[in-house]
Amino acid sequence: MSEAFAIVGARLVDPASGFDGPGGVLVENGVIAAAGAQVTAQSVEGAEIIDARGAILCPALIDLRAGVEPMFAPGGETPASLADAAAAGGVGTLVLGPCPATPFDAPEAVAALMREGERQPVNVLIAAGATRSLAGEAMAELGLMAECGGAFAACVNPVADTLLMRRLMAYAAGFEMWLAARPSDAALKAGTAANEGDQAARMGLPAEPAISERIAIERDAALAELTGARLLIDRVSTAEGLAAAAAARRKGLETGVTAAIASLVFNEVDAGAFDAAMRLDPPLRAEDDRAALVEAVRGGLIDAVVSDHRPLPDEAKTAPFGEAAPGSTGVETLLAALLGLVHDGQLELIAALRAVTSGPADLLGLPQGRIAEGAPADLTLFDGDAPWVFRAADGRSARRNSAFEGRRLQGRVLLTAVDGAIIFRNG
Amino acid sequence: MSGSDFAYDFPHRNLLSIADLNPLDAEILFSRASHWLEAIRTANRKKDALKGLTQINLFFEPSTRTQASFEIAGKRLGADVVNFSAASSSAKKGESLADTVRNLAAMQADILVVRHPAAGAAAHVAALTNAAVVNAGDGMHEHPTQALLDAFALTRRLGGLGGRRVLIVGDILHSRVARSNVQLLNLLGAEVRLCAPPTLTPVGAAGWGAQVFTRLDEALEGCDAVMALRLQRERMAGGLIPSEREYFRFWGLTHKRLDAAAPDAVVMHPGPMNRGVEIDGALADDEARSLILDQVEVGAALRMAVLELLGENARKHNGGRA
Repeated sequence: MSEAFAIVGARLVDPASGFDGPGGVLVENGVIAAAGAQVTAQSVEGAEIIDARGAILCPALIDLRAGVEPMFAPGGETPASLADAAAAGGVGTLVLGPCPATPFDAPEAVAALMREGERQPVNVLIAAGATRSLAGEAMAELGLMAECGGAFAACVNPVADTLLMRRLMAYAAGFEMWLAARPSDAALKAGTAANEGDQAARMGLPAEPAISERIAIERDAALAELTGARLLIDRVSTAEGLAAAAAARRKGLETGVTAAIASLVFNEVDAGAFDAAMRLDPPLRAEDDRAALVEAVRGGLIDAVVSDHRPLPDEAKTAPFGEAAPGSTGVETLLAALLGLVHDGQLELIAALRAVTSGPADLLGLPQGRIAEGAPADLTLFDGDAPWVFRAADGRSARRNSAFEGRRLQGRVLLTAVDGAIIFRNG
Repeated sequence: MSGSDFAYDFPHRNLLSIADLNPLDAEILFSRASHWLEAIRTANRKKDALKGLTQINLFFEPSTRTQASFEIAGKRLGADVVNFSAASSSAKKGESLADTVRNLAAMQADILVVRHPAAGAAAHVAALTNAAVVNAGDGMHEHPTQALLDAFALTRRLGGLGGRRVLIVGDILHSRVARSNVQLLNLLGAEVRLCAPPTLTPVGAAGWGAQVFTRLDEALEGCDAVMALRLQRERMAGGLIPSEREYFRFWGLTHKRLDAAAPDAVVMHPGPMNRGVEIDGALADDEARSLILDQVEVGAALRMAVLELLGENARKHNGGRA
């Protein structure tokens, strides 16, 4: 049982209710006992008082996609190191997503990971792989994995076989799981390392066209219509893809849309110097695509922004661009990178925070992600203006492959609480 | 001595991309290449400009003429030249490019000539070592010494590139030669045209500073020079063109086709040639029209110029040490 405490004198921002104003939160027994302007240093008795001094208090972040490395990988990211990094980044709930090296494609693996997750200070959920080894060939034991606590099924690599995709959707719908599909046409995607366009053509890199995403979303939306599946469009990265996602939603299909934080803040020109840290999947796209993604966060088409945290050993990135492994770490920089868009005037604070709090919570039906009486006391307090330079070597993730290395960021986490326990405190 | 005729000394420590050069850099290189071209036509070709320096040719792709050309150029300048090819190397045993480069740097290599199948490989190597790095081809990205020798050969033949119309025809999509050449020809004031089947034309090529054509006869109109590119048979598996004979019918260079170009138009080819695919054998062998062997001869001289200037700078900055 955690101690009672109150955070007072904050700027309270709760995207779920639309509240943005001065206030405080009283935490008792791991849940929010009271919240709002009436919670002040004078009103609270018998609890530790934390004076926020005007810092921003919001629900702890929910990251719908972060990765770990296989057990016993030398120097690798474990659930513990990832949770530590997440807490420092203001993230209270993590969804571990599958990767080819960690496909989460069997109930034993999911159950073991759940046990490991329960030992962490942050909430850990699991997105299971929908096909064995994520190969897109044979269905994994979706029902058994759902019983073990997998939050939703996921097929990371694009599934080329339309018949298998239809069956995955129909089957997942029977267990009321989201089917998370990374939208990419398998043939257009194969062997590529960049976004098709002038930049990649000059660099001589094999490239995937933006319409690859649109083709995949249109196909999957048609299959979702046929099967009644809940389709989670996982990490949309192009304006073409957004248009297809919007069309699916207009049709009344049950769709969720996520975007990776790197796709919102970087474009293909950031990868122009063959910087392997910028080799990502989905690849960095054109500036028009980036701007369309920001607009879709503002308009609510994108439900969730994810860190797409993908830890890699140094040697995976010490290679020419096209041969480097794709991916960047990101849980520690997710909030500050989002705030960068707010400081630039591209997003309102409440819209930015919605995509990492109530947006993902509503998709998964979680009680977290809101500041309301009785809700779990998962809270993040941050100084929205504090400038800093991100150095991965100083971070808490076990890996240093960050696309944000050396970037000037604004906004630092002061405190993170999960279920009423303060799990991170800075200053 | 090399820069003394010019307003400044050749400033570069590596040659990674044509994009790093300005017209004066090219002029300095051409001037030194002319000097070496005279010198190697005498019976006493051995010079000692690179004496005491070690040059390693690091080739991760098969190459005949480029590797030989760099080896001859380095040896004529007195460098100790070592050839390191992937087929017989530790890369076969799974060593990463980065570790290979660090090991060679530890052997005090002064100049690394790098060919690798990945775009950006030469830049990656340059970031790992203090040795001077020459990009001898990185994936589909660039092949700057090929572009320099092409422009040098053309300049010698045409007396200058300003206002000249040059066509590059063939597999532009996979060609690092084309990517380097378009930039350099533009830098030197030529009017550049590209012609390829639509499936072998890169997205956005129209923005490269070149006019893009599909039909060869239209593209050839008024051209002073035509560069044919090798059809990369190893990359044609994906159905990019239906057959080689169809390719030759529409994009192959012949004497008859060349009638559409300017009266004394010359043809070039970076090699190795597929006779009867991208160029008719009779045209390739026609000394009046073909610069192909010229390209090879001046290539060694141009690479001597590159190695000489980078070697001098390596001595200046590293005391000759990597």
